[in-house]
Amino acid sequence: MARAGKFWSGFITAVIFIGLEIAAISLLERSSTLQNIWINRASHNVMAATWGSLNKVRGYFDLRAQNEILAGRNYELFKELQQYKELEQMARVRARLDSAQALPSRFKYIPAEVTAMGTNSRHNYIILDKGTEDGVKPQSAIITPNGVVGMIYSVDKRYSYGLSLLNEKVSVSARIGREGLVAPLVWDGSGSDRAILKDIPLHLTVEVGDTVRTSGISAVYPPDIPIGVTLGSRLIDGSVNVVDVKLFVDFSSLRYVIIAENPDRQIIEKMEE
Amino acid sequence: MKNYRFILICVLLLIAQVFLDNYFPLRRYVLISILPAIILLISLETRSIVSMFLAFAVGFAVDFFSTGMLGISSLALVPVGLVRGAVVGLVFGDELSARGDELSIQRLGVPKMALASLLLCALYFAIYVWVDSAGTVSFWPAALRFVLSVAVSTPVCLFAARLLRP
Repeated sequence: MARAGKFWSGFITAVIFIGLEIAAISLLERSSTLQNIWINRASHNVMAATWGSLNKVRGYFDLRAQNEILAGRNYELFKELQQYKELEQMARVRARLDSAQALPSRFKYIPAEVTAMGTNSRHNYIILDKGTEDGVKPQSAIITPNGVVGMIYSVDKRYSYGLSLLNEKVSVSARIGREGLVAPLVWDGSGSDRAILKDIPLHLTVEVGDTVRTSGISAVYPPDIPIGVTLGSRLIDGSVNVVDVKLFVDFSSLRYVIIAENPDRQIIEKMEE
Repeated sequence: MKNYRFILICVLLLIAQVFLDNYFPLRRYVLISILPAIILLISLETRSIVSMFLAFAVGFAVDFFSTGMLGISSLALVPVGLVRGAVVGLVFGDELSARGDELSIQRLGVPKMALASLLLCALYFAIYVWVDSAGTVSFWPAALRFVLSVAVSTPVCLFAARLLRP
């Protein structure tokens, strides 16, 4: 009881103190031009700082919604870009074959959000929030505009389980440059931002800094998706070279991905058999 | 009788303060004020809220009759009214107000009274000099004016304290 009385007494004292100081400031503001300008400037600074802080707080709480909008826009742009890339490739093929026949768009794209992901073992996985209800099928590619993330392994109604590129079981057919050497890219477990291109013949030289992309010689991955950049080559067992690749995808901050599904995959695989 | 004497001397000191504010030629460099002493020496039974109202009224009266800016003394003196009780407790101890005694230089001694006056003058002039400069005077000249004002006003406040409560 005494404590509550003390609190209210302190509170009333503080309120009266602030009231008297405000009264004195308003008297001063009216009686002196110099002080008037100074007080106005100070109050504007305080207002600006207050509004700035409020905007920062509001912006922080809006971040998730903004992220989702940006991810959606990113997906739309990526789809558009892929269409242009395919058109460009078709034009190249058409020019080579001198054929006017149009090629159909091979891949279907589904945006997804990463629900869970492992990066600490040698067999890392990724779980996405899209499943069979959204049209996801096993053996589809998981990509981002920055590069390859992995491959869908199994699919549930609402979720899908994939093998990340940071998994020794995953191999991606890659090409150095747009028209260069094709080789399998695998993860050797040396770091979450590194992979290797293996089985490079000794007589072929690889320039440092070349971009590595998906080759397109695969029923799973769309062509020309950037994967990383070459760091240099080294000799293995005296018979073949391996090329170290720095990956573009930052697996530690990955959140939004795109699932690329090739509707003709089964037909192609049947023909391969 | 004691109270009438106190009020009469207060009024005389306020008139002296108005004269100082109007006619002291070195105000740009040093300020002299006895207002912190008046607020310090009002009865110890007075609560902080009443002290603050008194401080506001005293500051307003001095500004009203001076050629200075209306409100500046009130602005600097209201915090003095707020912390007065704490300063008295800190310098003279809590027993003084518990016994219902009043401040007196003869009983409490010059050093303690000087310390209390110094603290309240420092608070008063810190606000007064800062607001009076209004961002137009750089730090060191303002700091020098503050130090000189506290150094001159503390003995003047002691003298006023001797008159108010001998």
